[in-house]
Amino acid sequence: MVKYLSQVRPEKQRELVLLLLILLVVIFFAMMIPNYLNARLFNRVSTSVAIMAVLAIGQTLVVLTRNIDLSVGSIVGFTAYFVGQQLSHNNEIEPMVAVLMAIGVGALMGGFNGILVAYCRVPAIIVTLGTMALFRTLLVEYSDAQTVLTVNLPQWLLDFPRLNVLSHGRLHLRFVVVIMLAVVVLFQLFLRFSSFGRKLYAIGSNPEAANNAGFPTQRIVLISFLLCGALAGLTGFLFLARFGNITVVAGIGFELKSVAAVVVGGVNIFGGSGSILGATLGAILIDLLENSLIRWLQISEFWRDALLGLLILTSVATDSIFMKRIRLYWAKRHAASTS
Amino acid sequence: MHKKIISILTVTALLFGATVMAHTIAKKGMRADLVLMPKFLGILVFDQANNGAQEAHKELGNPGKLEFLGPTPENSVAGQIEILTTATTQGQDGIMISNNAGDQIAPAAKAARAKGMTVVTWDSPIPSADGEQLFIAQVDFNETGMVMADMALNIIGPGGGEFAVLSATPDAANQNAWNASMKEHLKDPKYSKIKLVDLVYGDDQSEKSYNQALALVDKYPNLKLIMAPTTVGIAAAAKAMQDEGLCDQVKVSGLGLPAEMVSYTLNGCAPEFALWSFVDLGYLSYYATYMMATGQIEGVAGETFKAGRMGYYTIEKDPTRDKGLRVKMGPFSVYNKDNVEAASK
Repeated sequence: MVKYLSQVRPEKQRELVLLLLILLVVIFFAMMIPNYLNARLFNRVSTSVAIMAVLAIGQTLVVLTRNIDLSVGSIVGFTAYFVGQQLSHNNEIEPMVAVLMAIGVGALMGGFNGILVAYCRVPAIIVTLGTMALFRTLLVEYSDAQTVLTVNLPQWLLDFPRLNVLSHGRLHLRFVVVIMLAVVVLFQLFLRFSSFGRKLYAIGSNPEAANNAGFPTQRIVLISFLLCGALAGLTGFLFLARFGNITVVAGIGFELKSVAAVVVGGVNIFGGSGSILGATLGAILIDLLENSLIRWLQISEFWRDALLGLLILTSVATDSIFMKRIRLYWAKRHAASTS
Repeated sequence: MHKKIISILTVTALLFGATVMAHTIAKKGMRADLVLMPKFLGILVFDQANNGAQEAHKELGNPGKLEFLGPTPENSVAGQIEILTTATTQGQDGIMISNNAGDQIAPAAKAARAKGMTVVTWDSPIPSADGEQLFIAQVDFNETGMVMADMALNIIGPGGGEFAVLSATPDAANQNAWNASMKEHLKDPKYSKIKLVDLVYGDDQSEKSYNQALALVDKYPNLKLIMAPTTVGIAAAAKAMQDEGLCDQVKVSGLGLPAEMVSYTLNGCAPEFALWSFVDLGYLSYYATYMMATGQIEGVAGETFKAGRMGYYTIEKDPTRDKGLRVKMGPFSVYNKDNVEAASK
């Protein structure tokens, strides 16, 4: 077993551990909560993960370059509201146009972050902390204290969250989940095999070296923020479809959750390592915990947030304590076997 | 005999005089710079309250300014305290607060009072009443509890069953008072068959309220009703039940806006809910604050004043808070499939 494990890349080990953890959590709650393992649990968690995972993938792209985007919650809120408002005024807008509108608005906001970070050399945490408040205020001003109401939205959008691709008994594979899976596969392949994807890792591991090697570092950082914004825009659309009534508080706290999913999913907060699959597993684990803890009587409302915080701390700590050693060991072994 | 008649006459005269004096009718055109502060910006009902206040502002011909200032949603508690403090430094004459900060806002309110500013709360009071002169209550908070209990009984039916409350934030004084009063009313044998099983918070966020509503359904398989005394919570809960096809099993009720609830009421997800007019609440709050800030009324128990088109109101001790004074607006409107369409227009 140990021998087999040592053949697996450290990042893959991390993903396996996450899978194991998810399994353990399910087993634990199945023992604690009567009637826990049923079709409804799958439907519930899968649809709610669909929203968070798409956002976490965007966050991953940025974190890989040794940056962070704290404005994603506000981008989700703004695009959800904006597209909702447009659809309320004009029910004839085609579904595809609505989706592209959401992605476009998000990309615009992400691009704004990217320009400030890449070309104005302002640290990402400062830029996105600022735009988090800025985009939210933009939403408050734009909304003029109105709410997007389900009654005014076109019927196709209201039916959208209930749309099933596959159904087996009471087990449903919802269309939103398929969208998420498509995004996961697309970006996993993109990071793995495209030259842009590999450059993201290179910049995150060592920005100066990447610069010296002649990588267009600034442009790549800009594009990573742009893509993150676009994915946050897509999340905004999914959010609108799911919740229908959109007020100015939409998406508050999503930045924390997306960072949590990314970090728990094994993406190094200092950039350079991690995978889309990992971030998705992180989102699943967090959502599963949240969904289950709400149902578990012994845990109070206020402790759940604390637990999320604890989870982030633990995963960052294990990452810097264990993963570093495992990576070193792995590198040494490989150096030995190739020489 | 003669003496007796005289003394009766004197007493009558005194009483008459007292009533006439206390029935203050607002003098128009006096100057007072006022601030209307909602819990946070971007919620429809607070905007409606602002419309009501603006209407009163024009009607009274106040040459001063009326500003609608509120914090952004994620910064509600700290933002409210900040706006109040800034208003004090700027020398505003009065502020109307829908308090979302619990007692944490009391020191800032006291400082405002010390500077001679008029501090009135509306929609949600300062629980301890420290620093607050008067609370404009939308309805009697005990009545809210009773309306909630009655709607629950009405929807669940005589057979009885379980229900849960989906509230807004744990710091919202109005929500807490309503929930407490509902629990009191539930002790009445009339409600013995309906059982409150849980109270959760959705923080007035759609997504959190939506998820909490679904979690309640998972947690209590026999749940018959979700009672959400918040306009955001009730709409989110109704959408959640509709999306999951649970409307036959679990109904939704509480305090909601007809425009937001009309489709759910017509399709049976939320057969009955209640609310009051937020436009009127803003209008009445403005009248009381204007008259206090311009010294036309003092804001003590027993005073009666005329609030324009809405008629006469009397300041009284607040039965739900030991130290507080209030003006009660009322009444409740209960909406169902017969009247919701007309009200949503």
